[in-house]
Amino acid sequence: MIRVLLRAALCAGLALPIACSNNPYPDSDRDAAVLYTTFREAPRTLDPAVAYTTSSHAVTGNVYDTLLEYHYLKRPYTLIPSLAVAVPEGRVLEDGRVAYRFELRRGLLYQDDPAFGLGEDGRLTREIVAEDVAFQLKRIADPAVNSPVIEPFRVLAGFAEFGEALAARRKDDAEFAALPAHEQYAALGPVDGLRVVDRHTLEIVLREPSPQILYWFAMPFTTPVAWEAVQYYDGKEGRPRFADHPVGSGPYRLVHYNKQARMSLEVNPNWHGVRHPEWKAPGTLFPSEGAPGDAEKGLLDAAGEPLPRIQRIEFLREKESIPRFNKFLQGYFDTSGIIKESFDKVVVEDRLSPEMAARGMKLEKSVEPSVFYIGFNMDDPTVGAEGGERSRKLRQAMSLTVDVEEWLRRFTNGRGVPAQSPIPPGLFGYDPDYLNPFRKVDMERARALLKEAGYADGIDPETGKPLHLTFDTYQTSPDQLLVIRFFVDAWRRLGLNVELAPTNYNQFQEKVRNGAYQIYMWGWIADFPDPENFLFLLWSELARSNSGGPNTSNFSNARFDELYKAMKVRPNDAERRAMVAEMRSILEHERPWIELHHSEDYALYHGWLDGVKPFGMSFPMVKYRGLDVAERAARREAWNEPLVWPVWVLLVGLVAAAVPGVVTFYRERQ
Amino acid sequence: MLAYVIRRLFYGAGVVLGVLLLLFLLFFTVATPDDVARQALGEKALPDVIEQWKVNHGYDRPLWPWQDFDDNLFFDHYRRMLTFDFGRSDADDTPIMDRIRDGVGPSLALTVPMFVLGVVAGIVLSLFVAFFRETYIDRMGVFLCVLGMSISILLYIIGAQYLIGKTLRWFPISGFDADPSVMLRFLALPLLVGVVSGVGGDVRFYRTVFLEETGRDYVRTARAKGAGEGRVMARHVLRNALIPILTRVVVAIPFLFTGSLLLEAFFGIPGLGALTVDAIQGNDFSTLRTMVFIGALLFVLGQVATDVSYALVDPRVRLE
Repeated sequence: MIRVLLRAALCAGLALPIACSNNPYPDSDRDAAVLYTTFREAPRTLDPAVAYTTSSHAVTGNVYDTLLEYHYLKRPYTLIPSLAVAVPEGRVLEDGRVAYRFELRRGLLYQDDPAFGLGEDGRLTREIVAEDVAFQLKRIADPAVNSPVIEPFRVLAGFAEFGEALAARRKDDAEFAALPAHEQYAALGPVDGLRVVDRHTLEIVLREPSPQILYWFAMPFTTPVAWEAVQYYDGKEGRPRFADHPVGSGPYRLVHYNKQARMSLEVNPNWHGVRHPEWKAPGTLFPSEGAPGDAEKGLLDAAGEPLPRIQRIEFLREKESIPRFNKFLQGYFDTSGIIKESFDKVVVEDRLSPEMAARGMKLEKSVEPSVFYIGFNMDDPTVGAEGGERSRKLRQAMSLTVDVEEWLRRFTNGRGVPAQSPIPPGLFGYDPDYLNPFRKVDMERARALLKEAGYADGIDPETGKPLHLTFDTYQTSPDQLLVIRFFVDAWRRLGLNVELAPTNYNQFQEKVRNGAYQIYMWGWIADFPDPENFLFLLWSELARSNSGGPNTSNFSNARFDELYKAMKVRPNDAERRAMVAEMRSILEHERPWIELHHSEDYALYHGWLDGVKPFGMSFPMVKYRGLDVAERAARREAWNEPLVWPVWVLLVGLVAAAVPGVVTFYRERQ
Repeated sequence: MLAYVIRRLFYGAGVVLGVLLLLFLLFFTVATPDDVARQALGEKALPDVIEQWKVNHGYDRPLWPWQDFDDNLFFDHYRRMLTFDFGRSDADDTPIMDRIRDGVGPSLALTVPMFVLGVVAGIVLSLFVAFFRETYIDRMGVFLCVLGMSISILLYIIGAQYLIGKTLRWFPISGFDADPSVMLRFLALPLLVGVVSGVGGDVRFYRTVFLEETGRDYVRTARAKGAGEGRVMARHVLRNALIPILTRVVVAIPFLFTGSLLLEAFFGIPGLGALTVDAIQGNDFSTLRTMVFIGALLFVLGQVATDVSYALVDPRVRLE
């Protein structure tokens, strides 16, 4: 009773009668299977043809189901069918082109939505058909959609031509341009590489072999999209735009969307896993087999359980890391990354600290399919290919000076795996036994190489002064510059004078476009788990200088290119592995990059969440997770009992401080 | 007075046109449409995609009238801003007017009570310390005010979130709910921070004003007539100190609409302050241009409103 009175007094005292709890959620959600998570940046778009950021994929990945998906537990990553009946095999046609035939499951439905109008069965939905996948692929080709992934689909026969014809016709024919998108596409006629064989079968034809194309069918970009939804959600007459109103076929549907503050997803009752559990389709049940060690971690405890296991997902916007982490510690978010400021409190000797373990938390570490590196501009006369052996030895010497383990320890709390090559662990072609001879610290050898290059003790014979190089970066804050200064200091020990040239992002881009740079630092996170998605960063046809492509080092090597083209189209066999190894050797010798690290994700989550296995890539896997709601509610209440006594201490202190002054004041006046 | 107001608005229009010119130079020549497109599409976007984005957003046209008098970005920029046709966000294509409409409610829900509470707290506390002038309560009050003014608002925010939200567990650390029945739960902490962080400066200023007034003849007369000190302060000093208080208060009113950048960002309030921070962080130049333009417009209006308010509260002031 006293406690209740005290709390009431506190509330009344602060004139905030309904605010005396730090629980940000309604009481009605106390026992609901709701996953609470966060997003930092508002999604730019939820159009699956365009969405390419983590916060967008958090929604589109759950709302739009794909023809294929990844096995949740198996590593290396394995494709399994989802909306498709099976993962298609490539078929080489007589003219050398390659065809993949996708067969859709029968009876798949979109989520209920007014866009469809009331059907005969009294429902606001319709069946998903092969034409919907073709429609979405045409949307990717459509220049007006501005899809960022247009490039990998150019391998589809007639794809690029379709986009060009569409743009030209729109320019010339205003009447045509005013038609709805699907009517425009239909008016242009069929696309050679997109063949709708029947209502449930789509065949795609590639101009040349490209096995990686299948990975794109496990991403929301290629999800079936209903033309009705694109036409209906046009942003007119009070209707939202399609980019803000997804109409999908995935395990969840979007029920609340305020991208500045909150996004809510609820189970989609039309998802085939919910409507047809008897199908036991892959991706609709928790897997019963996984990678070695998964069973020991309890990851197979939920084997066979129908998905999704969580009924609602609440994404709450938290822009700042400190409040986000504090709310996780209070139990109001179920998962979290680890902020730099609290790393030592959470992780001790690379394991979860006893304090956090006592609160029932768990830590999962995973290496992300990414690579971060220092690159040389190979078009530059001093550090690039033009300098021949002299420049190569200079690059080799500089590579031998960078102590990446120390760098990781200082700047990332040790999070990251030192990289020996562009290919990260877990991908085909990664060799755990391979040690790059130029990716260890060997100052003696570095100095010898520098001498052989003609820069003994770092002195440029032409000037008689230390060789002057420039490290260009768009990082301008003191913290970020400190990270790069580490490398500059390392090279200074060789006698080189590397000048740090920080500029803003736009100026940096300008420099890169003009080729006016020597050394830079960059990173890449894979779109799909294949070595091709890393090695293409050094393919000469994508050199920044001649194509504006992602090969920022402008690396060009005939043998590397030849191997790249051959490797790209080969299945994962011994020969492909050998090709990757040879490409790695070329990079080892040529040193267009100094490989730094593959980033490591430390995912922290509460013990009431199960079925958590970090996935590495940006694919939402919420449907596999489970919640112990009772434990969460009990823990939250225990952790968040308000402390009332400080109010009274404060009030008494204020009165005690003021009373003598008031008394003295009146006494003096009298 | 009408002529004065019209004249001031005319000068203000010149300021706004100048701001628009600066905005154009800054956002179209320093950061080119190419840069904007690259920021919007991300690092992986290829040149073709960037070109198409520029076409889709109308950034493919010439910049200056002498390049194409009928169709150029310079005239278009002025026309759009002056007709409040702000167009679409560079970042996500949302109509900017919609975002402003969505954001103004949460901003006002925070800034209006914060402003009112801040003014009331500032006046009450400054009357209190002025009442006890030259006692240790006054000295301690001034000391605390200077201390409060010296601390960064960031420290207030992080400290309040840690102490009140995390340790004492009184209010949610962050978040927002537009439902009026629970909104106060989320606004309590940012309101407290907003009021406490701003009250020091207000109290010092108002205290000085009050002390200046307490030395005037009419105060001595009131005392001589037997009025109590409390009545003198509340009825006579407060009323006559209104003009300098108004100077400080009225000029701030228009800016209530633009929200609070830091409070909204740290407490997760989806207002116009957070929108501006997002626009800065996300290189959403079209939204940023709009917010700067609105800020300039409100500043001009605030200045005029302050002048008019002088005349309203003080019959001695005539605006010519």
